[in-house]
Amino acid sequence: MTTQPFPYLLLPTLWAMRNRARRREHGDGTRIAIFGGLAAMVGAAIFGIVFYLTIQLYDYAELGDYLIRLGFSWLFLTFLSFLAFSGVVTSLSTFFLSEDLRLLLAAPVARDRLFYSRFVKTVGQAGWMVATFLVPVVLGVGLARCAGMRYYVVAVLTLVPFVVIPVAAGSVVTLILVNVFPARRARDILTLMGLLFAVAIVMMLRFLRPERLLSVESLPDIAAFFSTLQSPVTPLFPSFWAGETLFASLQGSHDWLHFGALWTTALAFTILARAAFGRYYFTGWSKAQEARKARFTRLRFLDSMARALPGGPAARHLFVKDLKVFLRDTTQWSQLLLLLALMLVYLYNFRVLDLDRIPYMSGVVKNAYAVVNLAMAAFVLSAVAVRFVFPSVSAEGPAFWVIRTSPVPMRSFLWSKFWTGLVPVLIVAEALTVVSNYYLGAAPFLRVLGAVAIFFMTFALVGLATGMGAIYPRFNAENLTQVAGSYGGIGYMVLAVLFILVEVALLGWSSSIRLWHEYRGIRIPPSQVALMVSLLLTAVGIAIATFWTAMQRGIRALEALG
Amino acid sequence: MIAVETLVKKYGAFTAVDGVSLSVAPGEIHGFLGPNGAGKTTTIRMIAGLLKPTSGSITINGHDLARAPEAAKASLGFIPDRPFIYEKLTAGEFLRFHGGLYGMDAAEVEARATEMLDLFELGRWQGELVESFSHGMKQRLVMCAAFLHRPRAVLVDEPMVGLDPRGARLIKDIFRHMSEKGVAILMSTHTLEVAQEMCDRISIILRGQIIARGTVGELLALAGGEDEQLTPVFLKLTGGSGLQEIEEAL
Repeated sequence: MTTQPFPYLLLPTLWAMRNRARRREHGDGTRIAIFGGLAAMVGAAIFGIVFYLTIQLYDYAELGDYLIRLGFSWLFLTFLSFLAFSGVVTSLSTFFLSEDLRLLLAAPVARDRLFYSRFVKTVGQAGWMVATFLVPVVLGVGLARCAGMRYYVVAVLTLVPFVVIPVAAGSVVTLILVNVFPARRARDILTLMGLLFAVAIVMMLRFLRPERLLSVESLPDIAAFFSTLQSPVTPLFPSFWAGETLFASLQGSHDWLHFGALWTTALAFTILARAAFGRYYFTGWSKAQEARKARFTRLRFLDSMARALPGGPAARHLFVKDLKVFLRDTTQWSQLLLLLALMLVYLYNFRVLDLDRIPYMSGVVKNAYAVVNLAMAAFVLSAVAVRFVFPSVSAEGPAFWVIRTSPVPMRSFLWSKFWTGLVPVLIVAEALTVVSNYYLGAAPFLRVLGAVAIFFMTFALVGLATGMGAIYPRFNAENLTQVAGSYGGIGYMVLAVLFILVEVALLGWSSSIRLWHEYRGIRIPPSQVALMVSLLLTAVGIAIATFWTAMQRGIRALEALG
Repeated sequence: MIAVETLVKKYGAFTAVDGVSLSVAPGEIHGFLGPNGAGKTTTIRMIAGLLKPTSGSITINGHDLARAPEAAKASLGFIPDRPFIYEKLTAGEFLRFHGGLYGMDAAEVEARATEMLDLFELGRWQGELVESFSHGMKQRLVMCAAFLHRPRAVLVDEPMVGLDPRGARLIKDIFRHMSEKGVAILMSTHTLEVAQEMCDRISIILRGQIIARGTVGELLALAGGEDEQLTPVFLKLTGGSGLQEIEEAL
């Protein structure tokens, strides 16, 4: 019997990628154009900023070099924590939850070959994002400093062991977790940990208040700010070694010590991980197969709550079912934590906004900001809707036959989805608008207008998400995030943005008429009042038409299924 | 009862179901047999309201499925071949939800759900999440749901897949009991022994068309052999066994 080397086991993954690239699906062109365009824009922006900053720092001689060195260390430190976490999550899927593992473990495949093939896959899956992000940064610094070819070669040779070390450590953590908890429980715990990690990063970055650097009054604080930055950079971390190696090659010299430390540590971690997997993998995998009684919350209050709701019994049962399924799935509800963090950061931004520094204009700016705030709140709301409301029909998954074979009309089904999505989104939208306008100190007229406008806009955006989710369902999607990123989801975002721009233009125009006259103490002439009213009515009309058309088309699409 | 008239389903130029007509009387268990890809599941899915026919009509207990889908579905129970259900609900919650969809009131659902769960030997699992169930348990739970609202007609696609011998025996007894109570059952299956043991009449479908119909005795006579088993008859009617080729290859 010929034994194939371990890369042979990666062939199915490569073939699947190749087949996916060859297969053309409806909307592929649009998706590639939108995502490719966005990625190119982000890449170009990162490159531009890094290039500009590196050029600027050139004027500060040694201080500039120090800042680049510090920048590298911080960049790699951030990636190190990201990679370690990503390694934990990815290895849970590649080593324990993948469907093809049963086939491989039943086949005469040596454990070492299985380990190496899975490890390479884990490193690839966990590290590709970091590698992609590093390309414009490395290019930006290198081109600004006119670095030679060696700098780019060293960058690649530094990145490989730098990714391997945290991913190997993360895989071992997963191995321990799976041997302690059942794999599916471990996945829930990891999902929650990941989100708390993301929440902590977002909050920390915001509450550092980096905008203080731009303020002249806070100049004495800058030294303290840098000392804060310096504190977590430790010479014992691979991030420091990677930063030093790359910085040395940028200067045209070598740092063999740190380069060697990176490679030897990466090899040592790989060997240790292989030994740990050789010893404990099969026990962990066996545990992951055991179906244990799942622990869950009964959520009985939902049944009592549903009895008090209006609507027929079918609608009430759909509502209770949707909420229970959502709240018992950690991968679903935990994303609300991130949403909550983003909301807090959003409101915090308004709280620290110091518009009184420009006393003469502050009134006008505040009211202009109130209109911008309406647009931003609507964008947040559409992002929430695309993630939580748009996939609500697809969330039925393969179990949709239960609804389709029941005597419940598709109309009732879709309306139930709409109301279940509308109420929480409306509360979020109103809270964002009212509280941010309060912190902003907007004129009372604008506060009322904002609250009323977001009410109608929420109806339209939730209706659009529900309807388009029914027109473009993906019942076979592996997870609901995939549904949000589908052709229909992108189409929804494009339409939502267009809708928000039109609404904000109409509302901004009408409110500017009133504010213009108010500031000058002039009574608004009847013709202008008529214009204002017609603009507001048009905005309401567009919102109602958007909501109604999307829902009706969604119902028709569901009725035509099959 | 279930009545299907000249049912056609086309996918582009391909005709999956080509003019199928059949009727299942109250109290009858009607077997629906055919090789893979013959059009069984497509026909069953059209009767269940999951697929739209290209032409033809389907009547369930006097209600036209195209004109009065809610009334037709309200008196039909459906058991699919693969028991996909909401994994994050408990068995009891799933049945309560199912009862709600069929307009049953809460007290009625509670009593009937307990009765069904006990009947299908799932009573002690009532409070457990569906995700912890085996395939056979999910299959039995789907059957609980199908009979929960006391349908007068039941549509079954491959009932024995994933069931252990005890589960299979249980299902056979329940189906027979339900048919004695006047429920019309249309059952698609590959297990010819099950069809032979349980069905009052059998229809055999091949390339989208019904090629034979009758009682087990009539089908045995139609094939003209001396066998008393359906398997050789089925192989003969559906175009040879291919067994010789398989034996040679092995």
